[in-house]
Amino acid sequence: MAESQSPLGRTFIPGDHGNSAAGVGVTLLERKNLSIIQVTAWPDTIPTVLTAIGSATGLVLQNKPGLGRVAGEKSVFGFAPGRYFVVSATPDLESRLRSAISPELGTMVDLTHGRTVIRISGPRSEWILSKLFAIDFSEHAFPIAYGRATLHHDIHANIQRIDDETFDIYVFRTFARSFWQTLGHAAEEVGYRVE
Amino acid sequence: MTSSRLSKGGRIDRSKSIRFTFDGKAYSGHPGDTLASALLGNGITLFGRSFKYHRPRGVFAAGSDEPNALVTVLSGDVREPNVRATELEIFDGLVTQSQNRFPSLEHDFMAVNQLAGPLFSAGFYYKTFMGPAIGPLKGTRFWMFCERFIRRAAGLGKAGTAPDPDRYERMNAFCDVLVVGSGPAGLIAAEAAAATGARVIIAEERPLPGGSLLGSGEMIDGRNPAVWAREKADALANLPNVRFLTRTSVWGYYDGNVLTAVEHVSDYKPNRTKGMPRQRHWVIRSGKVILATGAFERPIVFPGNDCPGVMLADAVRRYAVEYSVAAGNNVTLFTNNDSAYDAARTLSIAGVNVIAIIDVRSDVSGTCRDIASVAGAELLLGHAVTATHAGKTLSSISVQHFNAETGRVSGAPREIKTDCLGVSGGWSPAIHLASQAGSKPEWDEDLQAFLPPEPNQNWVMTGSAAGYMDTISVMSDAATKGSAKARLILPPVEAPMLDSSPAPVFEIEPAVKSQKAFVDFQHDVTADDIRLAYREGFHSVEHLKRYTTLGMATDQGKTSNVPGLAIMADVRGISIPEAGTTRFRPPFTPVSLGALASERYGDLRPHRLTPMHDWHLANGAKTYEAGLWHRPMIYSSHGETIEQAYIREARAVRDSVGIVDVSTLGKIDIQGPDAPELLDRVYTNMFSTLPVGKARYGLMLREDGIAFDDGTTWRLGETQFLMTTTTANAGPVMQHLEYYLDCIWPELRVHLTSVTDVWAGSAISGPKSRAVLESCVTGSKVDNDTLPFMGIVHGKIANVPVMICRLSFSGELAYEVYCGAGYGAQVWEALLAAGKSFDIIPYGLEALGTLRIEKGHVTGAEIDGRTTAHDLHLDWMLSKKKPYIGSAMINREGLKDENRLSLVGLISLDNQSINGGSHIVTDPNPREPADSFGHVTAACYSPALGKYIALALVKHGTSMIGNRAFATDLLRDKHGAVEIVSHHMFDPEGSRMHG
Repeated sequence: MAESQSPLGRTFIPGDHGNSAAGVGVTLLERKNLSIIQVTAWPDTIPTVLTAIGSATGLVLQNKPGLGRVAGEKSVFGFAPGRYFVVSATPDLESRLRSAISPELGTMVDLTHGRTVIRISGPRSEWILSKLFAIDFSEHAFPIAYGRATLHHDIHANIQRIDDETFDIYVFRTFARSFWQTLGHAAEEVGYRVE
Repeated sequence: MTSSRLSKGGRIDRSKSIRFTFDGKAYSGHPGDTLASALLGNGITLFGRSFKYHRPRGVFAAGSDEPNALVTVLSGDVREPNVRATELEIFDGLVTQSQNRFPSLEHDFMAVNQLAGPLFSAGFYYKTFMGPAIGPLKGTRFWMFCERFIRRAAGLGKAGTAPDPDRYERMNAFCDVLVVGSGPAGLIAAEAAAATGARVIIAEERPLPGGSLLGSGEMIDGRNPAVWAREKADALANLPNVRFLTRTSVWGYYDGNVLTAVEHVSDYKPNRTKGMPRQRHWVIRSGKVILATGAFERPIVFPGNDCPGVMLADAVRRYAVEYSVAAGNNVTLFTNNDSAYDAARTLSIAGVNVIAIIDVRSDVSGTCRDIASVAGAELLLGHAVTATHAGKTLSSISVQHFNAETGRVSGAPREIKTDCLGVSGGWSPAIHLASQAGSKPEWDEDLQAFLPPEPNQNWVMTGSAAGYMDTISVMSDAATKGSAKARLILPPVEAPMLDSSPAPVFEIEPAVKSQKAFVDFQHDVTADDIRLAYREGFHSVEHLKRYTTLGMATDQGKTSNVPGLAIMADVRGISIPEAGTTRFRPPFTPVSLGALASERYGDLRPHRLTPMHDWHLANGAKTYEAGLWHRPMIYSSHGETIEQAYIREARAVRDSVGIVDVSTLGKIDIQGPDAPELLDRVYTNMFSTLPVGKARYGLMLREDGIAFDDGTTWRLGETQFLMTTTTANAGPVMQHLEYYLDCIWPELRVHLTSVTDVWAGSAISGPKSRAVLESCVTGSKVDNDTLPFMGIVHGKIANVPVMICRLSFSGELAYEVYCGAGYGAQVWEALLAAGKSFDIIPYGLEALGTLRIEKGHVTGAEIDGRTTAHDLHLDWMLSKKKPYIGSAMINREGLKDENRLSLVGLISLDNQSINGGSHIVTDPNPREPADSFGHVTAACYSPALGKYIALALVKHGTSMIGNRAFATDLLRDKHGAVEIVSHHMFDPEGSRMHG
């Protein structure tokens, strides 16, 4: 099968950009070849669905707002009541989830093609993201592995904290190029590297 | 006034020189200088002309309270007006210009306004520019005629028209404690708060921390107070839980402890690194706010108080201590309180010659007397300044006996030669942010000032902002309010014991006065203007402000509010608190529009692009914006016009086959056991009976029975549907459904997800479309039996999984091919390759529109928020077997009225195009087309019919078919004969799309 194309197109230019003479403040990359499945539980099935996600992925979650887990390429996080992104580099993610989650427990939508995942990492990642999103990126307010649903002007984004200075940003594919350019513009001040 | 640089002291770096210009003349200063201090250091005392009278004005203050010294900063073609010289840090290459003068600051023709001063009193414009009752300049026309001349003569600086090339950014910040100000109160409060582990942000509007300590003559912990402040600030800034922002003015306080601030990141830098913003706009959300905003010294109002050389006493001190500039060779001080004595002491230590202190009080403390004595200043108690003598700058003052109890001036005037008069009328706590937060200030008799009241949000004021005027009390208060738990040990302070209570004297009004006494310098409001306002009935402080403009403009009355209120209270015979004060509003200091817009400039909206966007551009598409989307309008070739292109494209679809990008259609995944029930409720027609693998055209109404949106919904499984919406209504339909599920029918087990971005959509239309698919689809047949009208199959194209639905918007045999968006371009190109032998062409929105107009298919142009299903001949879709949203309202009398506009087709009879939006009239006279009975919703040239055609909404639509009328467009001067026909203008039987 043909390779899925990135929406970033000609705006994805590897190398150092902006004020990078004194160092690179953040590194930007597009995470590709992921399966992104949105799982939504019914109000009375959330604990059961979380258990099912755990059994299908090995990522066990408690039922707390925004809580998430990260293990290598795999991740899961909640961003609305009973609604989770389950992400993996393995193509059989959806089938494994479907075998664990029946329609009585909840529903699933494959958003693999609908979202672009941009990873920002580096010592100035909180600073850059704070230019764009009106949420608190400090680690005590946004712990590692937690997820958030937020907005940059017209662009909706789901964000998961991967480690102390790394975040994965899930944006709608059709907005991805615009957001990528905005992100690069914001990062010029600290210098950024595209990998 | 003869200002000059002192030989030592100050926080300027004398080892380096900075070159800048003012009004075209080159000057030099030092790092650390503001434009005001540098010009004063060069002996410049005339900074600008006043707003109304064009009076010469010098610098009056040393900070954000400056009313006079406003300049324009020039950078190439860009000009930024009304920049306070007292805050503008100089840098090499800075170019500045004075304002409101012609042809020059020294020789301003408009200074003639001073002669006509009595005419220009408060309300001058209101009274003068009322036009006559008749004639060409009657009423407001006279004002409009005069306005252009008035605007040239009066006002502040002029904004430029060149685009601002600078970069601005927004920053969102969160903290436990925001400390506004880094004077002694701010530093101590921040230290206490930080000691508890709280996340602290400190915002200081000046380049250096320290606030009042920078110009102080006190000693803290045995050290220079500025040094102590810098060390304290450095220690705080190094804490992991503290962020220290300098050059950051907090300008707005909003509900929920949201504060806004502007950081001047690089205004002061001649060169900026790539990506460095000029200003950064902070939106700070804080758990607790500590307002350590200090206090503003206020002037005393007296005749002639606005000439260059008259300044605030504290400003004279600050220029000497901070910038090592003597504002005059022979400085006099005029006061009603002790703080001027501290200024005299500090000035004397700095080497400035203080020759006299004029105090309205008849007696002062021994400490004050000692200070005057040590400074060598003559002490004139029970005296007041009653006049100034100046050309363009102060040369002497008149002093007379003054009784502070009665306010009366007596005795013969005595003239004192002085070139700088420092005035202190007491101190007003900077309560602006607290006032913005919604609290009503309270009057304090001791301080003769308004103080902050009980907080209405989680904020406190501390230090001099809270009425503590000596450094020891300030620090003690700040330590408690920062956090009492921290138990800070405060440093010892060496300072003279002075009384912070001023005499309640705000104005000196001699019996005979030949000079204006200004209250608001920036807007040229005098004490007599306030009295005039009173006589004309404007008694309320709010009315006073608006009638006289007292307290308006860029300084927001920081120096004028209290004196102005005091004069109004006096003429009304009431106390100042009874007169009240106006509520401060944002911004505390001016904010550039660039900072407010932040990164949203130029292209204000994000671009939304389909997976095939790059292909479109590479293949000649001309695109236009449809909401946030960029969609191909036409694919131009060989210099075609738009009309030629869409005609070619539409004809090709009817003749053979074409392909159009429909990825922008709204797509909503609807899942759950109650999904069929939800669709039955929101659509006018039935969906629960739709078999799996089939699609159905659906219509939604609003609650009031008006048509809302249409589209096809595909049943992908027993409990899963894919709803498509119009491109424009994707968001509103999603909101509509979510609202009903969340609020009206929460018992339904249905989940909604927007999947617009998941699927790339290509519509392939035309008699050869099936043949194209047959040549490239694997895994499924696409013949009529396998894929009938509204059928769905799954297969592969170019080894990519696709979902194909047979449906038609063009009226031709047509299919929509959906695939994962990441494969959209590959599938699009595979379809084009498969269609090559059938002469397939891509077509844009213009051809798409042409095809649908020929067929009479409706879009948002007809579903315009005013039409019903009946109006659009869609009443066949209204189920009688079930209720649905809007069903209760569709039979309202108004919605069944036979006079309603309904959908028809139009054919041009003169072979001329019909303009969209034209009105339908019966009169052939284009000059008097008479009443409109309808309007054109969409128009095009129809290659299928060989005529210009249109869709229109007209009264009695169906019964008008066969009649002739005129489509008239008065705006574009077009009037043409048309025939009214059925909206199904092409293939009304639908044989082509069902074939």
